[in-house]
Amino acid sequence: MSGIRQDDDLVFRKICSLIEPLNEKGVELSRETDLIADLEIDSVAVLDMVMDIEDFYDISIPVNTISETKTIGELVDAIHEIKKEQA
Amino acid sequence: MGLFEKFRATAVTYEALKESAGRDPFGVSMDEMKGPTRAMVEGKEIVLAGTNNYLGLTYDKDAVDAAKDAVVASGTGTTGSRFANGTYAGHRNLEHELAEFLGYKHCMVFSTGYQANLGAISALVQPPEDVILIDADCHACIYDGCQLSGAETIRFRHNDPESLDKRLSRLRPDIKGKLVCFEGMYSMFGDVAPVKELVEVAHKHGAYALLDEAHSFGVFGDNGRGVCERDGVLDAVDFYTGTFSKSLASIGGFVASNHPELEYLRFSSRPYMFTASPSPANVAAASAALARLKGDQSMRKQLWENAHRVYSAFQQLGFDLCAPESPVIAVKLDNREQAFLAWNFLMENGVYVNLAIPPGTPNATSILRLSVSAAHTADDLDIVVGAYTALSEQLNAAAT
Ligand SMILES: Cc1ncc(COP(=O)(O)O)c(C=O)c1O
Repeated sequence: MSGIRQDDDLVFRKICSLIEPLNEKGVELSRETDLIADLEIDSVAVLDMVMDIEDFYDISIPVNTISETKTIGELVDAIHEIKKEQA
Repeated sequence: MGLFEKFRATAVTYEALKESAGRDPFGVSMDEMKGPTRAMVEGKEIVLAGTNNYLGLTYDKDAVDAAKDAVVASGTGTTGSRFANGTYAGHRNLEHELAEFLGYKHCMVFSTGYQANLGAISALVQPPEDVILIDADCHACIYDGCQLSGAETIRFRHNDPESLDKRLSRLRPDIKGKLVCFEGMYSMFGDVAPVKELVEVAHKHGAYALLDEAHSFGVFGDNGRGVCERDGVLDAVDFYTGTFSKSLASIGGFVASNHPELEYLRFSSRPYMFTASPSPANVAAASAALARLKGDQSMRKQLWENAHRVYSAFQQLGFDLCAPESPVIAVKLDNREQAFLAWNFLMENGVYVNLAIPPGTPNATSILRLSVSAAHTADDLDIVVGAYTALSEQLNAAAT
């Protein structure tokens, strides 16, 4: 079964909770996990998952940013960045 | 090798599905056309129920004659772009006719609807000071227009004015131009946007509204001017984009607007400036089809009657339908494999529809997209409903 690497970052945990239902192969989720290559999540599904994050944190994450992030860690960092900017 | 590895995973899935279905849904060849709703495929006559020929004008006598005359008078091709040697009287006239029909002051004709959206969005919006907001389910050409512009692009939830409102409220105060893009009727599910509400939200925040009526032009509104006519906000839309490739039964696209600055796009929109203009035959056919659309409301009436007939039959059969009644009727299936087999089953039963599977479909659904035409005869629709009835029996048998 899948697991989630121990991590105190709340954004990381939030993303993992949103990805879990899409993680059909049961890959262990870590900051290094590549959303499309490792998890084989449809690129549109990634965009939709990001929309849930946007509404949860009340921020906007541009499509441009999402296309530049490949791993969960990169997405976590981008969200922290945007949360600071849009705070 | 390096270039091709990225295709492998998709190619393997695709090959396996093709083999199990016994036919390639994305490579069907219409070997001989038999009219607007029939074609010969693999030696068998098939009913075409996966086109965008909403008004059924592809064989209209006026349009065919106009296209023939245009070839004789103006030649087979323009050999140049609108910006260089490619603007003929026919392009100008069609721009006037479209502007007049829609009630806008300005109109630009492009070589395809894809390029109209690409050209409008990429020229209007400039990074870093401008931003684009798009409906999550927008067509690829709107996404590509955003990408070509290089500007920051934010998606809002499909058909959700509140989601748009939230995202516009969050924008940095230093943003200059805001463009909101959405469609009238969406091509895959046939669902219709709350155009009035979206335009209002956009304007409340000082944003411009770009509405693509590709699938709704000729289909909605008392005069066929689209969903924005039906909703009474035609004059509030800032940029109205459309195509000739659906209700107008030709090839080409356009952008119409009341902003005189639209004309600036003629020297700043790369998809307008660096590709050949639509051919005389395409322009003449679109112009003749537009005249037919203006003069005869009975085609739209027939279209909706046909849609009603098919939609209610499918409801009775218990299919999972993706949207309320419209000329696009999409049936949701359980997964890719089932959708492939169902698509092939319909082909075997003489009906061509569109298969759409993930990646790229809304909510990763697998669907069979059927589109109704005003040109479908009662006979055509009998065959369609018959094939779906047989499909429903087969799916039910497999489920028990
Ligand atoms: C919403 C939408 N816009 C634009 C287009 C492009 O139209 P065209 O075939 O003229 O390039 C399409 C059709 O594929 C479409 O569905």
